[in-house]
Amino acid sequence: MIKRLIAGGKRLFGLHHPGRNHQVFPDDVFLVSYPKSGNTWTRFLIANLVYPDRNPDFSNINDLIPDPEALQKRRLDRLPRPRIIKSHQYFDPRYPKVIYIARDPRDVVLSEYHFDIKRRAIGEDYPVQQFVSRFVRGEVNHPYGTWGENTATWFYTRHNSPRFLLVTYEALQSDAVPEMGRIADFLGIAADKQRIAFAVEQSSADRMRELEKKQAHLWSSTRETRSDKPFVRKAKAGGWRTELPESSVAEIETAWGAMMRNLGYELAVSSLAHAGAE
Amino acid sequence: MIAHLVAGTKRLLGLHRPGRSLVILPDDVFLVSFPKSGNTWTRFLLANLVHPEQAATFANIHRLIPDPSVTTKREFDRIGRPRIIKSHECFDPRYPRVIYILRDPRDVVLSQYHYHRKLKRLADDSPLEKFVARFLAGETCPHGSWGENVTTWLTSRHNDPRFLLLRYEDMVADPRRELTRVAVFLNMTPDAQRISQAVERSAADQMRKLEKAQSDQSSLTKDSRKDLSFVRAAKSGGWSSELPDSLVEQLEAKWGHIMTFLGYELATSKALSIEPEMVSFMPDKPR
Repeated sequence: MIKRLIAGGKRLFGLHHPGRNHQVFPDDVFLVSYPKSGNTWTRFLIANLVYPDRNPDFSNINDLIPDPEALQKRRLDRLPRPRIIKSHQYFDPRYPKVIYIARDPRDVVLSEYHFDIKRRAIGEDYPVQQFVSRFVRGEVNHPYGTWGENTATWFYTRHNSPRFLLVTYEALQSDAVPEMGRIADFLGIAADKQRIAFAVEQSSADRMRELEKKQAHLWSSTRETRSDKPFVRKAKAGGWRTELPESSVAEIETAWGAMMRNLGYELAVSSLAHAGAE
Repeated sequence: MIAHLVAGTKRLLGLHRPGRSLVILPDDVFLVSFPKSGNTWTRFLLANLVHPEQAATFANIHRLIPDPSVTTKREFDRIGRPRIIKSHECFDPRYPRVIYILRDPRDVVLSQYHYHRKLKRLADDSPLEKFVARFLAGETCPHGSWGENVTTWLTSRHNDPRFLLLRYEDMVADPRRELTRVAVFLNMTPDAQRISQAVERSAADQMRKLEKAQSDQSSLTKDSRKDLSFVRAAKSGGWSSELPDSLVEQLEAKWGHIMTFLGYELATSKALSIEPEMVSFMPDKPR
């Protein structure tokens, strides 16, 4: 009862974090991805593109590209419009415009594994194979569905829509400037190459590592996590080729092979190159 | 602020409707469909199957098969487990087990058009073309477009043992057979007599009688026009005589690939051009 009263009081003053239940405005743009798919990097890229004069860093990113799970409702409601909102949600029919970042699930699971060590959800000696099985079953990050559910519910509903922009983490890594050009077009921002190049530079992995060192305590995702493990890790694609056991690669490809092929990720287990094979 | 206080007090006393904040239990089963796809009929069938001791009516259905947007939290807390819960939501990973009802979108759009007239959201002479355009854009209800709702569930759960797909058309053709499938999914022994009784108690004529007597006691019909009925034709295929060719073509152009996959024969050939997309539409295999 007391807990409910406190929650009710917070709600009354708009001090709660609205999460999926926040109000959506018709001019909102959502930056959506499954967790550990390059969302924070893209948040910095877009913030540096759209608000270069605000010097985006870990202390103000939540005011520039807000996260309804980490920002109070009152502040979320008062942000200038149009808002660009961060989200990890599976399909939500209310989202008017969506930039969806997809990433190879074989890398996503490794990134999540290291992040879960950093935030003490698992120990350093936790077996990777076991982690991958839990990831595939949707027991890691369960509020957002599995990687396959999250990606498929967005991709198959919206991929032909002019209100949807699909960006892969891998393309952002290899061709940041042209990919950011697509994002600028989608946002209706007339940005020349120089402005885009500046945003890319300001969001480089090295610069984000420096910011993280100074500001880890200012950001909800790094506060109170292990400081000996960085949030900005390798910032590279393809780490799974050396780090992920073959059986785990097969497990992921068995679950999501079709979706992965649709996104252009080549399967490593040849027997899965044809649909339905075990 | 006052509205906030009232809402807060209601919440404290459990008189609010939980909606999406409903606490989901691991043994919950959800009865999901896009609106106007036979959800109410299936709700009656299920209620009559699971609770044979009392016939389902428009007055008690929201306690037998609760609806998180109608049934209050306090009523929810009194419902025996396992619960069967009604929903129109798009994919939600929290739903442990799902019975999903599909219906031909060419009939769904007509059913929704007539229902919106009954609810006084549309005038009698409101052009059908305009409604179909809004229907295609997903603007006629808060649960996505027909294609979005169906797609989110099929691409995430099709072929999964936690998911049962029912087609409204199959239920109309052979309700006993389809209800038997439901009973098996619910881990019930499919008793033929009990299933027949549930089908009889949920027949369209029976439901029309109940609607006449109880329309003021149901959130589905309260405050709506009395000259139009909620239980309408209760048939499939009405679109072939009621829906103009040009509108059939529009629906099939947008969703033909999904319809073909689901076994709905197309009347126009236009949609066939996007057939190859269907090959990559579904995940390979169940997990």
